[in-house]
Amino acid sequence: MGLITANLPQLLHGAAITLVLTVVSVALGMIVGAAVCGLQLSTSPIARGLGRGFVSVCRGLPLLVTILAIFYLPPAFGLNIDAWPAAILALTLNTGAYQAEIYRAGYMMIPPSQIEAARILRMDPWQIRVYVVAPQLLRLVLPSLTNAAVDIMKSSSLVSVIAITDLVRVSQQLVALTYRPVEIYASAALLYIVLTLMISGLGQLAERRLGMGFQR
Amino acid sequence: MSPALKKIGDGAAVLQLRDLRKRFGDQTVLDGIDLDVGQSECVCIIGPSGSGKSTLLRCMAFLERYDDGVVYIHGKSLGYSFVDGKRIADRDVQVDHTRRGLGMVFQQFNLWSHMTALGNITTPLRLARGMARAEAEEIGRKMLAKVGLADRADVYPARLSGGQQQRVAIGRALAMKPTIMLFDEPTSALDPERVGEVLDVMRQLAADGMTMVVATHEMGFASEVSDRLIFMDEGKIVEQGAPKTVLRTPETARLQQFLGTWRARQADLFIQ
Amino acid sequence: MPADLLLLSAYMPRLLEGVAITAEVCVIAITAGMILGFVVALLRRIRFPPVRWLVVGYVEVLRGTPLLIQLFLLYYGGPAFGITLDAVPAGIIGLLLYTSAQFSEIVRASFTAVPAGQIEAARLLGLSRLQAFWHVQFRQVALLTIPPSANQAISILKDSSVLSVITVPEITFETGRMVNETFSVTAPYLFLALSYWAMVIVLSAGARRLESSIPR
Repeated sequence: MGLITANLPQLLHGAAITLVLTVVSVALGMIVGAAVCGLQLSTSPIARGLGRGFVSVCRGLPLLVTILAIFYLPPAFGLNIDAWPAAILALTLNTGAYQAEIYRAGYMMIPPSQIEAARILRMDPWQIRVYVVAPQLLRLVLPSLTNAAVDIMKSSSLVSVIAITDLVRVSQQLVALTYRPVEIYASAALLYIVLTLMISGLGQLAERRLGMGFQR
Repeated sequence: MSPALKKIGDGAAVLQLRDLRKRFGDQTVLDGIDLDVGQSECVCIIGPSGSGKSTLLRCMAFLERYDDGVVYIHGKSLGYSFVDGKRIADRDVQVDHTRRGLGMVFQQFNLWSHMTALGNITTPLRLARGMARAEAEEIGRKMLAKVGLADRADVYPARLSGGQQQRVAIGRALAMKPTIMLFDEPTSALDPERVGEVLDVMRQLAADGMTMVVATHEMGFASEVSDRLIFMDEGKIVEQGAPKTVLRTPETARLQQFLGTWRARQADLFIQ
Repeated sequence: MPADLLLLSAYMPRLLEGVAITAEVCVIAITAGMILGFVVALLRRIRFPPVRWLVVGYVEVLRGTPLLIQLFLLYYGGPAFGITLDAVPAGIIGLLLYTSAQFSEIVRASFTAVPAGQIEAARLLGLSRLQAFWHVQFRQVALLTIPPSANQAISILKDSSVLSVITVPEITFETGRMVNETFSVTAPYLFLALSYWAMVIVLSAGARRLESSIPR
């Protein structure tokens, strides 16, 4: 017990880094996801192909491989990339691809007749997007978005391999110092569960705030 | 337990309910139902939704445990045995044995989605009756022909219309040679134009002398086919009798009101 | 680039060995994990509180923490409990347990997707409780789990790359080794990406064949 309390500050610091990685990549992933979803729903075949290609590459590769490739490939071409930007980029691309699919699935659930109705009422395309599509989409995708956030939070543990001092990396360092893998890794696991519960709790809170169950 | 409960099965009634009671939480759904259904009798139950029709039928089949009173099928109490005036829950095997002669048709058809129309009929014959495949299939095809679906034997439920699914479900129940058939709002989940084909099968069944209890919203069917019409409200039988009498000269305000709303809706439909 | 290709062909036997190990580890972990997942989902239906808590705890811990931490606990923490495993068995067991938790949720969802009325109908038609469970409920659950399990299997295949961190000599590990030894970067990572892509293609083709055999 003393071992854990002694090392708790470092573990908590690692957990904070994990949380920062999650929040930043989920937020940036929303932009990427929305843009890619837009490409996929576009009428231009080139844009659609681009969107689909992005999603299938980013989802087809293991995240670990994406991380390693983004960190180790550019130097081979004379470009240097630091661990932090590489980590954020990899996580953003990954969650962005998953989010694009979530938004697309949500968009498909909005009855086309609603958009037609808005068009007949002479709303312009942007008004339709902002006033008709977006508010419904947000409610529809929130549960999946919460899952995606939990997923990327857990997956962010992989950036420890490029020496980001997240919760896993900190635990590894502490294990190297204390030779007590069970206690340290179990505490880290517990902190991950706390983070998971925190994110899903926030998601549920947001669902309630947005008045979920407005349909049916 | 009241002494009346001890006197069972005088031979005339194949299905008897005595003071049947059922609660869900603090809500009373069945509030003392007494009913005798005679051999070859067709009883239709009407009433607003939530009046307890469905629960009554589910208790008759022991899909729902009842809290008090008793259901007799061919004189045998269903679900509970009475020893020295005490009520003891029967074991599964006993329940299955007592309700062997019972067939039931549900609002949602409840066909097994992973089996063809024929498979739905042959599976219980083979599993519960231990029949050989060939024999079961012969009966299955006969039943499909009877409900007018001989050509749909190898089709899965998802590819059948609601009316067709319900007819397969009726065929499946009939294949087990039931002596009593229960219908729990068999046409309520159907498109209006599909109602007729199911009612036709049921009409034929009644004409053949099957004992039937039907919970329904189809007033036309109820008045034309049933031997007795029962109006239920708030877990009680409010009125019963010959269908024409009950429908033409309702005695209670509740039935008058119920029929009034029904006529208004019919008028609306007619105008449309 | 030609130098890269020469190196690649020199390392090819080891890389292919890595692909084989990835395939082997995944086949074992996914098969055994699915069986265990089914058992877990069945146990979860037991209402007896201690069993329930245990099973829910098992699933939630394995689903709420990163695979990486689970592997560390098993591989580095195991010896403290007298469980000393080599990297490969540790990797297989870790991946298997992780799979079982994910898969048990799929099975649980499938159970709720079989309407209770179908089981009532079966009981009324004279099927015993066991017959109704086996012939009506279980068979449909098995069929319903096929499409989501196919996706799950693909995601497990990608997750298996994490095993490289505990030195399982699978394809990500072998690629990393080649990069370290040769400083050649582009060709090995390209090969790595292509091998995952190929394995995903094979898996999804298999899944599609399986799905098309489901009666509808």
